[in-house]
Order: sequence, then C-alpha cells, then structure tokens
Amino acid sequence: MGVAERPMLPTLSGSGGEASILTTRLDAVVNWARTNSLWPMPFGTACCAIEMMASFAAKYDMARFGMERMSFSPRQADMLICAGRLPYKMAPVLRRIWDQMPQPKWSISMGACASTGGVFDAYSMVQGIDTIIPVDIYVPGCPPRPEGLIYGILLLQEKIRGEALSNTALRHEDAERTGRQNLPAEVIDQLALPYGNSTNQNKLSGLVSTAAIARPADRQP
Amino acid sequence: MRKKSFDEALHDLESGPEPTEESGAPRGESADASSHPSVAALRGRFGDAVLHHTIFAGDEHVVYVPPERAHELLQWLRDDEAQRYDLLTDLTAVDYGGGRPLEVVYQLWSIAAKRQLRIKATLPLNALEIESVVDIWHAADWLEREVWDLFGIHFRGHPDLRRIMMPDNYAEGHPLRKDFPLRGRFSRAEQTRRSLSMAVEDFYTPDELGAAGGAQPAPGVARERAPKDGAPKSSSDAAGVSGTPGRPNDPEDWTLGTAGSAAGGTPGPEGAAT
Repeated sequence: MGVAERPMLPTLSGSGGEASILTTRLDAVVNWARTNSLWPMPFGTACCAIEMMASFAAKYDMARFGMERMSFSPRQADMLICAGRLPYKMAPVLRRIWDQMPQPKWSISMGACASTGGVFDAYSMVQGIDTIIPVDIYVPGCPPRPEGLIYGILLLQEKIRGEALSNTALRHEDAERTGRQNLPAEVIDQLALPYGNSTNQNKLSGLVSTAAIARPADRQP
Repeated sequence: MRKKSFDEALHDLESGPEPTEESGAPRGESADASSHPSVAALRGRFGDAVLHHTIFAGDEHVVYVPPERAHELLQWLRDDEAQRYDLLTDLTAVDYGGGRPLEVVYQLWSIAAKRQLRIKATLPLNALEIESVVDIWHAADWLEREVWDLFGIHFRGHPDLRRIMMPDNYAEGHPLRKDFPLRGRFSRAEQTRRSLSMAVEDFYTPDELGAAGGAQPAPGVARERAPKDGAPKSSSDAAGVSGTPGRPNDPEDWTLGTAGSAAGGTPGPEGAAT
C-alpha cells in the first residue's frame, strides 16, 4: 500500500507549490473579516423581536451573511440589535449591555419604536434609543419584515466595508461616557416635543413639510 | 364634542386633561339583592354597609361598600362557610377622571360555590387610603403594590408597599391617574437622566443579587429595602440610605435637574464598579 501523495492546496498565485503572496490593503482585509462575522447581540423587547427571530430562522437564514451564532453574551458580540420599544426602566440595562460589548461594535435600531418611540409617546418610553446608545442603522417598519432587517444588516456591512483603521475616532470610546446618555439633554428635549402633527416635525427639525399631505390645519399660525 | 385647537391639544398633552363636572354615580343597572345569594347574605349580615348593588354587562354583580368596612366584609366573604370566596382573582383600581373618587376593585371567585362577585370601594381623591387585604389573600401583595404604584392608593398594613412597575427612583407621581399628563411631569431629558442614574443593582435587593451568584453591591448602591425586623442591618448600610428605610421612593430624596447623580440618590454605574 503506497502512501497517497498529498494533494496540493490551491494557492492564490496558482503556480507550483511555492509560498504565495496576496497583496491588499489592511483596511480591506480587516473590514472583510469584520463584515462577514458579525455576531449579533439580540435585545428583543417587543413584536420586532418576533420578526428578528424569523430573520434568524431557517427560511430567511441570517447565517448566510456571517451571523452563524446569536451571541447572548455582550462580551462576544459585535452588533446589538434593539428590536422593539425601550421603556425608561430598561434604558440603563441597554446602556450597560452596550458598554459591555467590546470594540469593534455596531448597533441596529429595529422598528419605529426603537428608532423614535413610535406610537408610545408616553411617560414610560424612551423616545428613540439613540438618546441612550449610538446607533448605526435604523430599520423602519412596525414591525419591519425580515427582509427589512436583512437589508439593514446588509447596509451595515456596506458601512463596515467603508471604515478605515486610520480613523481613530471611529472606534474611540470615552470611559467618561460609560453609563451616560448618548445625546445632550437639550437635543433630547428638542427631539421629543412634537411641533406639528407629523412625527417628523419636532423642535429640532421645525415645521418641515415631509409629505404630499399638507393640510392647512397642520400648520402653526 | 368641540374640536380642540392645536394649542389646546398640545397643552393637554403636556399637562393632562382638565376636571369635568360629572358625578360619580355607580355604573350599571340597580339590581335586586335576591339575584345573587352572596349579596342577599351580605345585606342580611352587614345591612347598610352594602351601599349599592348593580349588575354590569348582564351577569356581573357589583357591590359597593364603604372603604372603612371593606376589610371586615371581605374577611367574612372568605371565611363564611356559605360564601368561601377563597380566590382573589384580581385587585385593581379605576380612575374615572374629572375629580371623581377612585374605585378599588376586588374581583372574587368562590371555588366551592363556583360563584363570582365584584366588590368596589370608592375613595375620594383627598383620602386615598384603605386597609390592606394581604392578611386575607396573599395574592393581594403584588396587586396592592401595583395599585399603589400606578394610582397612589395607600394600603394600610401592607408588609412591603413600594413601587413594582415603575423604577424605584420614579418621582413623577402615579401614572395611571387621570390627572397625570401623558408624557409624565419631567422633560424627556430629565427622564432620560434619571433612568440612567439607576444602576442595574438598584433593581434588585442584595438578597436577590446574592441568590443569583452576583457580587454584593457596595453599600449605598443598592437601596435598603424594608427589613423584616424593622431596622437597618448595620450602621454603614444605613449611612448610604437616604430617607426612611422601606420608603425608598420618597420624592424629596430626588432633586430636579442636577447634573450627574441626584443628591442623596444612587450613584451611576461608575459608582457601582468601585
């Protein structure tokens, strides 16, 4: 019985067995790695979480995009998905989880309630999780279909591909900000108070006509 | 109903509705006591303590009782051999708004007799206090805490009356009351600052954290709950506690609009880490 000759591993240069070299930009290879192994930390609080689970299940199969493993520990997660409304009582928990995630990390705000408070413009609800943590991608919808979340994640991958290691501000984290809100107090107030009948009109944006519907009754005198 | 102007509607959103002039008459149609055996027995034993008896939605018998006699009456309903309302299905409260009295609702079910009965006690807004029924049904414990948290009704004799739904440092009042503005009393920025000034440890008692295998929080970080023997465990614990033990949510502990952690309140997560 002879020893079978070990088949040659395919090399990038394609010639013989000599060591092959691939030249690329460091950014490109790091971003390639980060893009394709985004481990999500699911923070599901409401109906959006059902759609998120559907996205990760067999039919939509998020594993195709490198999300093989749901990370239920923030310490091994790259991407936080806040799926659903966030009450003030949960806000310190979300902030703590975000602070526990190691860099590089990204976050997705899934659905209308996580992004803006949605219909829950009430005493108990955070008006957009971007007041608590920085957000990279907002997925609109109530709730968004799995296609919507997948599109959001593909957009996030697109964003990661464009990152540069030389940009130190990108992954910089200030220890002073641990456990603190993400936006200054004045901005939170300006974002929260409605200014017209549209959810797009707040004290920050002013009275901006955002759609074809422009009823005179909606305008301030 | 008159259509409100934009300004009026915005004012309502921020300050809550104005009181109206409606009376607090009992809802539902008046009923004959003989239509429910327990009501007939109640009338026979307690007489005029049965203020009204109405039927709501076809077969829901509602008995209005004076709040000062509610405990005695409920105790009898549970213990009497012919009644035996041994299951407290629900305990809640209703605010019909417009300055009308709040109603505490006891929804009872008798497993033995397969009968249900709803007892209501009306409390005027200036005397929101009623005897606790935890000694009759243990199920009332968290339900009474919830009613206290959301409506501000004080239950005399409750073993551990503190907030259950809203955060422990909540100082805006009792949100399910009709005079509570929809968005709360503080600005969004202040609400955000307050919620983040809660450390995660504040949601649990030291006992609960110990049971979960977590580290014991530093003294003063976790708020002292009401100890069973009525005294703080040690003087160092007591030093970190503001206000009376057992009433950690005293609004006077919290000052409005100060930067960083509130005076006398809990330190932020940085404090928890040290």
